[in-house]
Amino acid sequence: MSYQLHIIPAVTIPDYLVGEVQSKLAYVDEGILAARIPQGGDRITLDLLVQPEEDRRLQLEDKVQRVVAVMVKGAFKPKIQVLEEHLDRPVPCRSDPNAGLLASGELFQEAPGIFTVGPLVTRLIAFFEQQFIALADSFGAAAYRFPTLIPARSLERVGYFRAFPQSLSFVTHLRSDLDAIDGFAQHAACDEHGLNTPPDSFSPIQNLLSPAVCYHLYFALADKPLPGGSLAATAVGNCFRYESVNLVSLERLWNFTMREVIFVGPRDYVLHNRELGRERMHAFFEQIGLAYRVESANDPFFIGEFKKQAAFQSAFQLKFEIRAALPFKESTLAVGSYNYHQDFFGRSLNITLPDGSPVHTGCIAFGLERMAFAFLSQFGLQPDQWPEVVRKALQ
Amino acid sequence: MNPENDELLKRVQDMVAEALQVPPGLVLPDLAFGGIPAWDSMGHMGVMMLLEERFGVPIDADGIATLTSVPAIYEHIRRTTKE
Repeated sequence: MSYQLHIIPAVTIPDYLVGEVQSKLAYVDEGILAARIPQGGDRITLDLLVQPEEDRRLQLEDKVQRVVAVMVKGAFKPKIQVLEEHLDRPVPCRSDPNAGLLASGELFQEAPGIFTVGPLVTRLIAFFEQQFIALADSFGAAAYRFPTLIPARSLERVGYFRAFPQSLSFVTHLRSDLDAIDGFAQHAACDEHGLNTPPDSFSPIQNLLSPAVCYHLYFALADKPLPGGSLAATAVGNCFRYESVNLVSLERLWNFTMREVIFVGPRDYVLHNRELGRERMHAFFEQIGLAYRVESANDPFFIGEFKKQAAFQSAFQLKFEIRAALPFKESTLAVGSYNYHQDFFGRSLNITLPDGSPVHTGCIAFGLERMAFAFLSQFGLQPDQWPEVVRKALQ
Repeated sequence: MNPENDELLKRVQDMVAEALQVPPGLVLPDLAFGGIPAWDSMGHMGVMMLLEERFGVPIDADGIATLTSVPAIYEHIRRTTKE
């Protein structure tokens, strides 16, 4: 049972911002179960856990109006550039794969946003991994292994806390203190809120769970000239982005896996390889008959940073997403992206080219679980219905 | 740029300095995006927002991508004002 609160925003939310504002409303208050903004942008509906008292309702309205005002006033309309349009490609399936995946044990939810996948989905993910590794090999990319933890100081250095505070996942441990450890061992238990441990038992936070793969490479290259003047690298890693009530099945995980092909070097080297990578992936997607589009996009910057950062990304065409069709909901899902960071990491981390100027960076990133989910949404759960190239590879 | 528009150039330099929160002396007539550390991506968007506000010049995505130097901003204002 939930309670609906309707709010009329002080300024109308333009269509191009409806999705962005809606996703941010999930972070406004812990009592919000869902937020909806119909096209037109003149009404916001919040599903709440309980009916709020008057002062709490006013508080909620105030927070929502703040989000809207900060994101909408003075916003720049993004320029959408479509590089590839294959959404109308016919695919055999239109049904939601979730029920079948859960029923067959191919998908098991441990907690919101945390899923175990079964043998068939694992093999499918391995198939996509092979293709992405082949892409990396085509650039002679050096293979790296990066840790799952990432130091807070490193993320601070590249402004991550300001840009994406809402999605951070923090790591701590018990303080090196006999009483704290003994107390935990004897009294630790989970209630409806989680572990009942007093917060002062935990050490200060020095590390987080890594939100992306390529950052680790940039940190490893920091504060010195780039050997050889250019570098192609690849790695796969666990990534963590908390998405509050937006966590939905394999579409939006808290803990997901990303394969990246990373380029570091002069501007033209990075941009040329990003484009070459797109062309090579186009050939693969065509081979398996995936319905998708490649279009310009922006990262999910938090409210305060959104207006400026998203507009900048859009204007300079820094990010293009591979959006695969989800026929069962007549929607699309970002399964990968082609990114160019200009010299942001080169400047922030003091990574230099032989002439002393900062390096440029870019990466091609694929979300492995999302890739599998989009494929299953388009081709179903029966492998004998899958494209021949996939069937053969899995035999 | 010509002498009669020197005042406009000065106003552009001052506006850029204010947006980037740097001393006006750092914003030379040929300064461009990346020319000083403060003119990074966030700084650039600050310049674009203040440009809209101070000069009443509407900025779109193409403008953000092309108005990346003091001379480009100066020319854009001059052209837009004439129109």
